[in-house]
Amino acid sequence: MSQPGSNPNSAPTTTTPAKSPASSKRGLAVPDLITIGVFSALYFAMVAVATLASTLLLAGFGSIFLPAIAALISGCVFMLMVARVGKFGGITIMGMVIGLFLFVSGHFVLSFIASIVFPLAADLIARAGKYRNRIGLLISYVVFSYGLTGPILPLWFMKDAYVASLEARGKDTAYIAGVFAHINTGTFFISMAAIAVCALVGGWFGQRLCAKHFAKAGIA
Amino acid sequence: MTVSPPAASHYLRLDPRAKLYLLLLANLVMFFHVSTRAEAVLVALVIVPLLTAGRVRMGVRLAVTYAVLLAIGLWAGAAVMDGVGTAGGEQTWVHVVGALCVGLRMMLPCFITGAYAFSTTSVSEFVCALRRMRVPESVVIPCMVVIRFFPTIIGDYRRIRDAMALRGLATGRWSLLRHPAQSLEFVLVPLLMNATMVSRDLSVAALTKGLGTRGVHTSMTEIRMRWFDWVAMVVCTIPLALGIGGVL
Amino acid sequence: MSAQLADKSTAGSRTHDELVLLRDCVFAYRQDAQGYGDADNAVHDQAAPLALNHDNLTVHSGEIVMLCGQSGCGKTTATRLLNGLIPGFYHGALSGSRTVCGLDGDTADISEYVPLVGSVFQNPKTQYFNADVTAELAFACENMGWQSARIRDRVAEVAHRFGIEPLLGRRVFTLSGGQQQRLAVAAATMLSPQLMVMDEPTSNLDAVAMRELHDMVAQLKAAGVTIVIAEHRLAWCADLVDRYVLFADGAIVAEYTASEFRALSDERLRELGLRALDLEPYRQRVAELAATAHDDTAESDRHSDIPKRSKINAQSQIPLIETHHLTVGYGRKHGQFGSWFSKRMQRGQRSAFSRTIPDLRLFPGQIVGLMGRNGAGKSTLVRTLCGLQKPLAGRILLHTEPARPSALTRAGFLVMQDVNYQLFSDSVREEVLLGLDSADEATREQADEVLRDLDLLQFADRHPMSLSGGQKQRLAIASALMSGKELIILDEPTSGLDRRHMMQVGALLRTLADSGKAVLVVTHDDELAALWCDSIVTLDDACSLRALDSDGDGQRWIV
Repeated sequence: MSQPGSNPNSAPTTTTPAKSPASSKRGLAVPDLITIGVFSALYFAMVAVATLASTLLLAGFGSIFLPAIAALISGCVFMLMVARVGKFGGITIMGMVIGLFLFVSGHFVLSFIASIVFPLAADLIARAGKYRNRIGLLISYVVFSYGLTGPILPLWFMKDAYVASLEARGKDTAYIAGVFAHINTGTFFISMAAIAVCALVGGWFGQRLCAKHFAKAGIA
Repeated sequence: MTVSPPAASHYLRLDPRAKLYLLLLANLVMFFHVSTRAEAVLVALVIVPLLTAGRVRMGVRLAVTYAVLLAIGLWAGAAVMDGVGTAGGEQTWVHVVGALCVGLRMMLPCFITGAYAFSTTSVSEFVCALRRMRVPESVVIPCMVVIRFFPTIIGDYRRIRDAMALRGLATGRWSLLRHPAQSLEFVLVPLLMNATMVSRDLSVAALTKGLGTRGVHTSMTEIRMRWFDWVAMVVCTIPLALGIGGVL
Repeated sequence: MSAQLADKSTAGSRTHDELVLLRDCVFAYRQDAQGYGDADNAVHDQAAPLALNHDNLTVHSGEIVMLCGQSGCGKTTATRLLNGLIPGFYHGALSGSRTVCGLDGDTADISEYVPLVGSVFQNPKTQYFNADVTAELAFACENMGWQSARIRDRVAEVAHRFGIEPLLGRRVFTLSGGQQQRLAVAAATMLSPQLMVMDEPTSNLDAVAMRELHDMVAQLKAAGVTIVIAEHRLAWCADLVDRYVLFADGAIVAEYTASEFRALSDERLRELGLRALDLEPYRQRVAELAATAHDDTAESDRHSDIPKRSKINAQSQIPLIETHHLTVGYGRKHGQFGSWFSKRMQRGQRSAFSRTIPDLRLFPGQIVGLMGRNGAGKSTLVRTLCGLQKPLAGRILLHTEPARPSALTRAGFLVMQDVNYQLFSDSVREEVLLGLDSADEATREQADEVLRDLDLLQFADRHPMSLSGGQKQRLAIASALMSGKELIILDEPTSGLDRRHMMQVGALLRTLADSGKAVLVVTHDDELAALWCDSIVTLDDACSLRALDSDGDGQRWIV
């Protein structure tokens, strides 16, 4: 794998095949992997910005909106990466690399699993549209954005842990559970819905930017 | 992630794979909600390699943070115990602080091991470890590129902000927030344009240096599991096992 | 080595010491995304031209061959045939037979070239793949599957050979362009290649770094390595090159031995569109400009083509910018992302830096050259003059009034070396109208006028990023003119340019100055400085500043 397109023709005139579905079946070559790496770094930077923004805006518990804010601003990165790579595996690997870096930097291990499963699904959706269908890419981006829920999952364990620690001391927890009930289900659904909405807006914005700039400049 | 391995270092450093194992342990501790005692023991244990790796200040800082969070959490728990009869509003406040501290404290073991892994592993060790663990090249290569490209993004961002200031675009303290979509476009377009160019140049550089070559890719950095790696892994597993078993 | 080559050889007709054999090579780039932003962008602007037009090239073992010619002449494309990037990476229609180090160009995979051909490219910032120096050196060996002990020995050997041991273990990101380029050469020699291919290796380097690169090339030559260099700047390795191959419009039009080439007159070189082979007269002129205050009568007629100097008598005018006891620099910087990740990347690398600047005066109508080696504080000074950072001490006067950084930012404009960071819009016309009232008819007309003056009007609806490097540069200047900037600063505007384009940039600077702008140009290009600048400020280490005012005021340094 990861071989650049070697040219088997030894005829005097060798014309490399035009960029077409034929070339996209060859799998990921080194230049594709490098493109994926560059865009993963950009996505990672976007996540860093989103972390900063959500922490500043909503201090403390604001991080539950981290995936949503990241989805809002990273659409363009995702869309351009897909346009540049246009092969199966690109989205999945980007998710895996992000997940790996999140895991190594001390995020919850589930974040690694989330960042494989959702991008893989996103990749399959995008492939169904041959990486060109705008609606397909938009849906793909929404699914991809859920890959970032990993880092915030522990927030929902926190309450359980707190309750458990009190239970361990023989405390009646009905009251405490009541206090946190709305934090649990309410915020969970708000956070998940926010991801979908923000990803739609961010993805649309990304597609618009791609068409306006990168397609026009001839690089997407 | 540090870049250069302190080659002639006299510090004791664990194998990257041992570090990953510790990271996994810390995650399991959080996942299984093991008792606070087991957690505290584990934290104390993972602080040790941080100190032996020469990151004394970081180790002390993290240890103190953990201790403070632990103390507040215990105090909140105690306050809830005592204050059965007090007003509901006050209790809610104590609960929120308590839950926050307990929550943050639970995430700390992961964070500490993460900081340890991140700050004491060189890029080449990391890449070597990935290859030894049979991670496919299609993941290893993007990982190398991420580490390579991240500083470039920061430099690019600074230059773009300079260029925007010269053009009078989005100047002023809050302008980025007042026109977020416009500002995002101004920053992203040059950033992504440059990224596509860099990815092309990196591809050229990588291809002429044989990154596309079939066959095994070796590493200059040698990593190997030594006795203290195994010891660290076994010792750190004990509190988790005892915690799950309900002994600790 | 050569005997072994002969065994591998499939081309029966060639003798054993012919390392490169191109016969009747024709190539046209496919018009697709890969060619975007290319160094030879002109190639892609035209409708599928032949980048190589029936070229025959032979390179013998141990030779140093210089490929020269104007931008877009096909010399870079030729280097890509030698390292397998065509057809391995750049795609298009290719014909003709190619044999490089015994590899048949039609059947060889790009990875087969790796142990035989080492490559060095133009941009030092984008040709390293690893974050640290040692890993970058080891990279090629790792990809070849060497054992780690062998790699370590080889890294130590190469680092010692080129004297880059002090760089080992450092982050490549923090090195200067010259150091990065030396690293690139060293990394390319790790596998002991028979052939080294360099594509404009000096276009981003200062004089000192070029000298260091020269010494590395000399060392390689002494070791018997064959070297092919594609370059605009000819002077830096004139003493090493054995043969010059001249390209024009994709075809090889002439070949010269070193002595034949040296015999060509300066005029002839200029006719061929080539840079000077001997920079000494230019250096002298630069020294004169730096040493004396500007004086129209002192104009040297050594260069028949020295363009007209500024007609405006500087001394009678009010300076646009004056500095008094200025100290520029920065303290410890932290990552603007605020994340600990970025801080880690920067930590310890951006220690405090400060430099005292001799008092400067910049007049409207004058072109001032700012020279001096990398790290002398040129870019910090330029950022300070543009108000992008605060001076550590001293004052900057704008129109004789002390000016705040924000006022300087409104008055000044910096054309960055990498102009891609400065273009934000989706069309050339929108770019110059950005931030202005685009509905206003007068503004639109003025925009069209500025674009026409800068030869950009025919591209008004194109995307800025689809333009060539020079066009982008002019577009950035157009945007500055539209927003009424008075001080135009250009950072290395001629890096990687051939003589014709360099002269075009010079003429543009003169036009800007004649329209009443103060022009400050940061450059390493002796030819540009000698031919076009009205005066020169040299910013060097340890304050060896030479722009002393002629009326002997020791404190005041004339510009």
